[in-house]
Amino acid sequence: MGKLTIGCFASLVGSTNLDFAVKLAGAALDKGHKVDLWVSGNGTMLSLEKQRAFKDYSYLEKPVKELMEKGLNVTACEACAEARGYHDDNTLEGVKRFSMDWYLGSTFDADRVLHIGGE
Amino acid sequence: MATTKLGFIVQRPGYKSENPKLALTHAIASQSVEIYLDDDDEVLCDVAFIGEGVLNCIKDQKALDNYQFNSTESHVKMALLCDLNVLVCKEDLEKFGMSESDIVLNAEEMGGDMDVKVVPYEEITKMMEEVNHLLFF
Amino acid sequence: MKLAVFVSDYKMTVDTLERLKPEKMGIILVQNGVYHASVKENGNASSILDSSADLYALKEDLETRGIDPANVDSKVKVVTFGDVVDLMFNDYEKTAWL
Repeated sequence: MGKLTIGCFASLVGSTNLDFAVKLAGAALDKGHKVDLWVSGNGTMLSLEKQRAFKDYSYLEKPVKELMEKGLNVTACEACAEARGYHDDNTLEGVKRFSMDWYLGSTFDADRVLHIGGE
Repeated sequence: MATTKLGFIVQRPGYKSENPKLALTHAIASQSVEIYLDDDDEVLCDVAFIGEGVLNCIKDQKALDNYQFNSTESHVKMALLCDLNVLVCKEDLEKFGMSESDIVLNAEEMGGDMDVKVVPYEEITKMMEEVNHLLFF
Repeated sequence: MKLAVFVSDYKMTVDTLERLKPEKMGIILVQNGVYHASVKENGNASSILDSSADLYALKEDLETRGIDPANVDSKVKVVTFGDVVDLMFNDYEKTAWL
């Protein structure tokens, strides 16, 4: 089995590209691959805790938590998060925060990289 | 010693979307990626502007004056200061009626040695073939 | 009607997809890209379907948009997320998200 690094810069709720990234990550984990998910730009919204589930909006907190328990490694860009007012104390448990070099480090030994830019 | 090469392909103009800027800042982050790698391993980044993406390279951008944040132009200069390979598609510049005189070409005033390379699309294709992974912005 | 239209985007006619010429290309239609697999404009199917690339469309994204996977163009293979993972790992070395 291999390693997939996904970078997603799309907004939480505002674009289903982030939902796609999470679903793809789940499918890759199910196949036995290792998966890193890097979120930057507006994608850092995924790192926020206490997302509320409404029928009219996509909701990713629960699926992401479940995937992290299965081994998904989620890291948010610290600078992009802080610029948006997301701090350590409102970050979803299990989501790490690092600088952009973390993404590059993840790609170093990835077998496949899928970069999904923002809007 | 192992090397992973990444190709950052910027195909959209900036400002409305922060993506072109993020392409540059991520590529520039290759300067510090070594903290995640074993000794002598490295990640190298090439950046190419194609299509409307070449508009990111227009010089004299006044983002700092008008929006109080650094311009994409300044990020291109930073990439050059970090010795990144920055390619701009010649055919796409010409489609916009532009030439090298219209775009940022170097970071000489900041002590940089690298120049932006205006190249045929064919060269950018070659780069895309040679890198290990592609990231389209 | 008096209408002020704010045009906030600029798009050239050059299509990145058309310029990509790898030795082997797969086009995986996802998100709104799945419309290429079934929608016709003035009776004409999307020009993407004329590509020599292998064509795929994501089942979940078709169904989300109310498109019956059974009704996509015959040139397009309908795939699941699991299939997409297999394609990425087994059939193609690199990816591009457009």
